[in-house]
Amino acid sequence: MNEKDQHTDVLVIGAGMAGIEASLMLSKADRKVHLVERTSYTGGTAIKFEEVFSNMECSTCMVAPRQQELLQDKNINLLTLAEVEEVKGSFGKFTVKIHKKARYVDMQNCIGCNACFEPCPVSLKNEFEEGLSERKAIYVPCAGALPNVPMIDTDHCLRFKGKDKDCKACQEACMFEAIDFNQKDEQLELKVGAIVAATGFNIFDSKKAPQYGYGKVDDVYTAIEFERLYASNGPTEGNIVLKNGDAPRSAAIIHCVGRDKKGYCSSVCCMYSLKFNHYLKSKIPEIKISEFYTDLCIPGKSHQKFYEKMKETEVDMIRASEIEVAKQGKGIAVKFSNGNGKKSNLPVDMVILAPAIEPRDDASKLAKILGISIDEYGFFKEENPDVSSVVTSKPGVFIAGCSQGAKNIQDSVSQASASVGKVLSLSK
Amino acid sequence: MERKIGVYICECGPNIAEKVDIDKVIDAVSSIDGVVVAEKYKLLCSADGKKFLEEQIKKQGLTHLVISACSPKDHEKTFMEVCENAGINPYLFQLANIREQCAWITEDKDEATKKAIRLTKAAIKRVRYHASLEKKEIDSNPDVLVIGGGIAGIEASLQLVSPDRKIYLVEKTSSLGGLITNYEKTFPSMEPGSSIIKQKIQDLNNDENIKIFTDSEVEETIGFFGNFEVKVKKITDVEEAAEFDVGAVVLATGSTLFDPKKAPQYGYGKFDDVLTSLEFEKMNLSGGISLKNGKPPKSAAIIHCVGRNEKGYCSEICCMYSLKFVRYLKDKIPNIKVSNFYSDLCIPGKSHQKFYEQTKGNNVDFVRSSDVEVTKKGDKLDINYKNETGSKNNIPVDMVILAPAIEPTSDAPKLAEITSISQGDGGFFSEEHEKINPVSTSTEGVYIAGGAQGPKDIPKTIIQAEAAAGKILSSLIPGRKIEPEVKTSQISESLCIGCKLCLSVCSYGSITFDEAKKISVVNEVICRGCGNCVAACPSGAASVKHFTFNQLYQELMEAVQ
Amino acid sequence: MSKPEDSLKSKGAVISAKTGAKESIIDFLKKAMDKGVFDAVLISMRVPAGDSFAYVLIKDKSLLKDAFPLPPVMSVQGAKAVSSVTRLGKGNMKIAAVMRPCETRATVELAKLGQTNLENITLISIDCPGVLPISDFTGEPNKSMKLFDDAAKKWDDKIMRPVCQICDKSSMVAGDVHIGIHGAKKDTFFIISNSQKGNDVLDKLDITLKENIDSWNAKVKNISEEKQKKRKKTLKDLKSEVGGLDNLLDTFSQCINCHNCMKVCPICYCRVCYFDSDKVKHPPEDYLQRAKNKGSIRFLPDTTLFQTGRMLHMSLSCVSCGACEDVCPVSIPVAQIFSMIADETQGLFDYVSGRDLKESLPLLAYKEEELHEVEDAND
Repeated sequence: MNEKDQHTDVLVIGAGMAGIEASLMLSKADRKVHLVERTSYTGGTAIKFEEVFSNMECSTCMVAPRQQELLQDKNINLLTLAEVEEVKGSFGKFTVKIHKKARYVDMQNCIGCNACFEPCPVSLKNEFEEGLSERKAIYVPCAGALPNVPMIDTDHCLRFKGKDKDCKACQEACMFEAIDFNQKDEQLELKVGAIVAATGFNIFDSKKAPQYGYGKVDDVYTAIEFERLYASNGPTEGNIVLKNGDAPRSAAIIHCVGRDKKGYCSSVCCMYSLKFNHYLKSKIPEIKISEFYTDLCIPGKSHQKFYEKMKETEVDMIRASEIEVAKQGKGIAVKFSNGNGKKSNLPVDMVILAPAIEPRDDASKLAKILGISIDEYGFFKEENPDVSSVVTSKPGVFIAGCSQGAKNIQDSVSQASASVGKVLSLSK
Repeated sequence: MERKIGVYICECGPNIAEKVDIDKVIDAVSSIDGVVVAEKYKLLCSADGKKFLEEQIKKQGLTHLVISACSPKDHEKTFMEVCENAGINPYLFQLANIREQCAWITEDKDEATKKAIRLTKAAIKRVRYHASLEKKEIDSNPDVLVIGGGIAGIEASLQLVSPDRKIYLVEKTSSLGGLITNYEKTFPSMEPGSSIIKQKIQDLNNDENIKIFTDSEVEETIGFFGNFEVKVKKITDVEEAAEFDVGAVVLATGSTLFDPKKAPQYGYGKFDDVLTSLEFEKMNLSGGISLKNGKPPKSAAIIHCVGRNEKGYCSEICCMYSLKFVRYLKDKIPNIKVSNFYSDLCIPGKSHQKFYEQTKGNNVDFVRSSDVEVTKKGDKLDINYKNETGSKNNIPVDMVILAPAIEPTSDAPKLAEITSISQGDGGFFSEEHEKINPVSTSTEGVYIAGGAQGPKDIPKTIIQAEAAAGKILSSLIPGRKIEPEVKTSQISESLCIGCKLCLSVCSYGSITFDEAKKISVVNEVICRGCGNCVAACPSGAASVKHFTFNQLYQELMEAVQ
Repeated sequence: MSKPEDSLKSKGAVISAKTGAKESIIDFLKKAMDKGVFDAVLISMRVPAGDSFAYVLIKDKSLLKDAFPLPPVMSVQGAKAVSSVTRLGKGNMKIAAVMRPCETRATVELAKLGQTNLENITLISIDCPGVLPISDFTGEPNKSMKLFDDAAKKWDDKIMRPVCQICDKSSMVAGDVHIGIHGAKKDTFFIISNSQKGNDVLDKLDITLKENIDSWNAKVKNISEEKQKKRKKTLKDLKSEVGGLDNLLDTFSQCINCHNCMKVCPICYCRVCYFDSDKVKHPPEDYLQRAKNKGSIRFLPDTTLFQTGRMLHMSLSCVSCGACEDVCPVSIPVAQIFSMIADETQGLFDYVSGRDLKESLPLLAYKEEELHEVEDAND
């Protein structure tokens, strides 16, 4: 590659596990990184977990030091509340237009004391907590979010919605003059040499598989909702409770929710479903747990060991099909067919669903902007699946993590490292 | 030299000012011996605050700095930079956390103030005993040793090589390519295996910056990140050896198959026409699938999970390649009946389920089974098994293909020793962190990739090879000096009695034994300052810079007054 | 207690002891030197003044006649003597070191700690009747010698040191070769091999190990069980005397911080003991502050810290040899206390100090599953 006139900066889209790894590695190589993150915080989905398999390490303890490194790294220009609008050019000479929403809080002055939350008169469901608790119009998504600087949700803030143009309750509560209603959204233009897209995933909307009762039957939770219930910084401070406030005496974990519709195995659900055993047993030692699965997918040198250990917690592993979840009396009944074809009915207090991992809603839009293709499942498409899965058909644009396909943290991080490897070896 | 300690207490807005009586703290510490100034400031980490500190340091001629403010995780780095800019050694500084540890944990202002006073005094006491520490810089060699000439090693080499970075690729067999050279096709695209590897091998051979050693083994790698001395010997001619220096090592030595003879119920080695997957691949590649008697098989059984119980893990790729085998068989012998005997179908990966759906079909059975046994019945092989409901069954077949577990190569222990890394689950090389650092090891500068790290398919292997290359490309840059850890351990020559307890507990291999003096010696470049040696040493000969006994003792004693 | 190479100890050799046990052992050693199997012997000898014993490295085999394999006192702990010879290297002489089981075990521990090189040393242990308190002996050496001889012949331990009275490892086979007196027919003793080196040495001396040693095993088991009963009771009483913070402080209140116990302990190998180093020497302000905080401070300070700290450092290797108690000027039962604790700490790891040179020190042996009694306390 011709070294003259090449931009050496790199654009990383998405500040989850893959994006963080890519950014830190690039910075180490003395490259300037523009890390564009759609939300107000870093860490992606991983910071919603309390613990990760298979060593059951505290997830935030694993991620926080990297987030800190990221925030203090002089080579990394973290742009939160930002999205990529346009990409022009080619490998070594991209021009990228970024739309950065105003946070309305000065990131230099704010020290994260949270004093501005209390006086805010607006309360609504917190999306980060999957709607299980509330937040204000000025908020951080959870305790410990980094950067520890709140944002104003202009869709609900009385001032910005025009409902109370004089409301400045938050600004008055701030001792650091950090709240600035005059901030404006920005249009930024960046010149970069390469792009790494690590925008993560969504989970399958379980309402689309109505047989599982999600949204109809109380106490049917998705995996992420359950992670938040167990999280010590979550809506119940880590107490696993039913809607009525009682602790469940029994739980069913249902694998492969949406697998038929999506047409692929999401790779991580068997493992985290086993992890959930530990979650449940550690808070409610006498709870009875049943796992409903079709094929146990636990590849990897350390994963079967994890399974054996979880089995010791006395979980019922039930290979089942035709699963239906319905209300039964005060609780729930899980109907299923087991291997013999025999139909059964298991009453439980709580159901946890393991929904398929799918691409983000805006994946195809971003793919168009980047000039790359998406595959038949909607994930970013690698050019040649037999070789490097981070290389797209557009030179200079690399993909990593779950944006390329469902995978666990180890593989997401590996792909991020591989993307950086590609960037560094192809451009000096 | 006279000590002039400056103490600055941050108000942190209302955070500390409202919860701690800062003036009381200032009163309590102003008259301590050595303290020449004790003041408060609104927000020390702000641009103004940093400027203020720098000016103060110069104006007051301070030799040591103590700040009582927030957590070191937040701003220790910030204030250390302030010290450097103002001309004092950044290690002659101590940060006392009176926010997270005082102001933010109690509403009782009295309690908070008392504790803040203790913490500040403790920091002042400690900082007295601090020593200036200097950053070190050493030259580094950007070249890389890649051990293993399979797809991982080849990919890593091609990714890494450049005019200012030489690659030394050591392969123990006489040719490059590894296991892929045996595969007619690879899943899920079913493209020829050779298409992946042929061009790459050519590129490798043509690159003048890559030196390839075939029929060779690595004898030793001595040194540390940026500075390894390598010795390579030819297996067939031990006299022929090569010595060279590199900065990093990539272990891409692949894997091998579990020996099915150790699971005699499968009849391997006893009956004809019972093959391992690799034997079947080779047979398929050579042109014809046939039985020992020369005839093509009319039926075949593929048995998954051979050796899985013995090894204790799922080898990830066997279900997929078993499906590939179904296709091989159907391509070459369209009417053949194939039965797959499996326990759980493991097909993660976005295109893998589709591959499975498209492999199912006429005369292709998937039998979920357990207790599978291969016996001989007449001139046919007989598969005895228990099906899902637990009832016994049997199917006669002409040919049996076993999918054995994937295990580390037999030289893995030797390689682990040579490179000072450990073997973990399954005997595969241990990564530094299962989730966030899968290709690094606990020895800085040694990376692992591909089958050597754990069973995986070709795309994942390539990713790990590229990841290892990425790690090296970002941290071992030609011309760039390496800054090793400053706060390292040191062992007193006069106190060390040579019991080697420290050596045994050092996870990084940074302690060596000087046979002449009979004492342990720390290599400050490799040492990461973890302190294991300090804990293990009974005589206190080992201590970590910036965490010496005195520093910790004085801080603690003052804090618990 | 699992032992390595157990098959070695089902058979032994029988050696004639017509001239008396001591003389026969010396004879055996002399023959070994004659044949060149050993170049020198490290063994106890009575000092010229007659009132004590010392370890002597004998090169001139004619001096062997004055050797005293099992003296009535433990003056220098044998392991210290061996360690002094080969701390800095293996030397070029083949040496036989004849000592008690506890001294042999301590030597094995020191070898694990890099403080002695056993390559050219053959460790020979003997069934031990115990020893007298040193102070008892030095007062009236000749009378004590006779008392000891009589008691030893009957294996009666009433006059031996308290820690010897509760020793259940007085016949433990450690090292390379063991001389078994128990259960041997009149005028004979057993020779038992414990290692390949032991085998080789006996081989060179044309001693074949084909005799049945069941009678030795039985008698040793018998004695060990009796001692264990006594040990259990004694230590139970001791625990109630010494256990708990108040009792502990009282027990060690007599300690004058002379560090004699540390100095004679074979396991205390540090060049400068932690508790003699600068780390325990504080500026005057520290002491004055402590006096201010508590009202007063005793000098020399930190005696309990010294005792418990030393315990922490050496307990996993402690062989209960009792050298420490012999030299305590204020008669604290240190050996009994440390021995009691050693049982517990070594028990946590199923470790017995000195039984196997190849067995790793508990501190360095990583087992994925261990210490559940501590780990799972709150689960």
